[in-house]
Amino acid sequence: MKGVLLAGGRGTRLRPITNTRPKQLVPVANSPVIQYGIEAFREAGITEIGVVLGNKGRERIQRFLGDGSEFGVDITYIVQGNPLGLSHAVGCARAFVGSDDFVLYLGDNIFEDDLSELVTGFANSEAVASVALGNVDNPQRFGVADVDDQRNVTRVVEKPDDPPSSLAVLGVYAFSREVFDAIERLEPSWRGELEITDAIQLLLEDGLTIRSHVVDGWWMDVGKPEDVLEANRHLLETNGPARADERVDESEIPDGVEVHESATVEDGTVLRGPISIAGDTTIGDGASIGPYTSIGPGTTVRNAHIENSVIIGDSKITTENEVVNSLLGRGSTVKSANGMPADSPRLTVGENSIITL
Amino acid sequence: MRIIALTCPSCGTIVAANELEEAVLMTCPGLECEETLGFEQLSEADRKHFIEHLDQYRL
Repeated sequence: MKGVLLAGGRGTRLRPITNTRPKQLVPVANSPVIQYGIEAFREAGITEIGVVLGNKGRERIQRFLGDGSEFGVDITYIVQGNPLGLSHAVGCARAFVGSDDFVLYLGDNIFEDDLSELVTGFANSEAVASVALGNVDNPQRFGVADVDDQRNVTRVVEKPDDPPSSLAVLGVYAFSREVFDAIERLEPSWRGELEITDAIQLLLEDGLTIRSHVVDGWWMDVGKPEDVLEANRHLLETNGPARADERVDESEIPDGVEVHESATVEDGTVLRGPISIAGDTTIGDGASIGPYTSIGPGTTVRNAHIENSVIIGDSKITTENEVVNSLLGRGSTVKSANGMPADSPRLTVGENSIITL
Repeated sequence: MRIIALTCPSCGTIVAANELEEAVLMTCPGLECEETLGFEQLSEADRKHFIEHLDQYRL
């Protein structure tokens, strides 16, 4: 079994953050989103991974992942270039996959459940594909699957007005090589892309079996700033559930607080877990951090109260106002405007911006 | 739709035909690979198909 990890796409819903970095490298709990996909593969025993790159930020993704050895996997790069659709991306991976089965994972997705159950269930079946599904409250916004009594998929429809179920198609699939023949028969959709749902529908029309795997655990398509914050909140909470609310000395880091050894937390700082503070960071002058906040490397925070936010890194935050529910790009400066109190604005700030509150 | 790609003979990196056609000649985008890849390295049938259906491979 091989893995194919999609790392293309424009990331338009995450602008301005994605004006200067690919969405797959936006950090959640101080780890880039794409790292969660790589680790999911490894934990399922899949170590041969093809990473499909678009034409945006691909060198940065390659610099981060390297040859995969740092993550315990072996990476082959596949350059798709133009984002011509998920099926086109899969088709580009054909030579890499060869005659193996493979798991397709969308690189901006995070799943709490591991992939083992989906992989094992698929490998032990006669199905040509398995699709991860999740119960959602708003199926009209998703691709939706209809399933029979055996939980096999009978139909997939994109954003239906009248959804046949509440089971949304999520960002992980398992396929056998039959999918490549289906993709060869596809025509671009109205938006000029080869859709993966169309390939699945063709397999069904060929009379082939497609399993479903209902994901019970938490999952997130990290596509918008609020998704980054929600994923950050969830992962910090589940990775460090202990909470604390106390003043600390440098040597007294409360539970639920992850502080890199090269970070400096000065006396009088308030840390409320769960939070993650990366290396080469300085927190001081009465700053209050958390809960649910990740501070990226190279950041200085003084005075400010930061809560439920992601600071990507290399930022300077000295405002006396609150920074809440915010996503700040690398190199941001947020400082005080004397005598101009602000009312906890929610910020999504691109790289190297200067904000005065 | 036929999906056309070239595999670098040195490092195994795969490059879609639309990237090769745009660049004409390119250094392989694989890590530390210095191989030169080009549209002309695709088979004649693949090149002919790509050019005849160019609109499908561009947004």
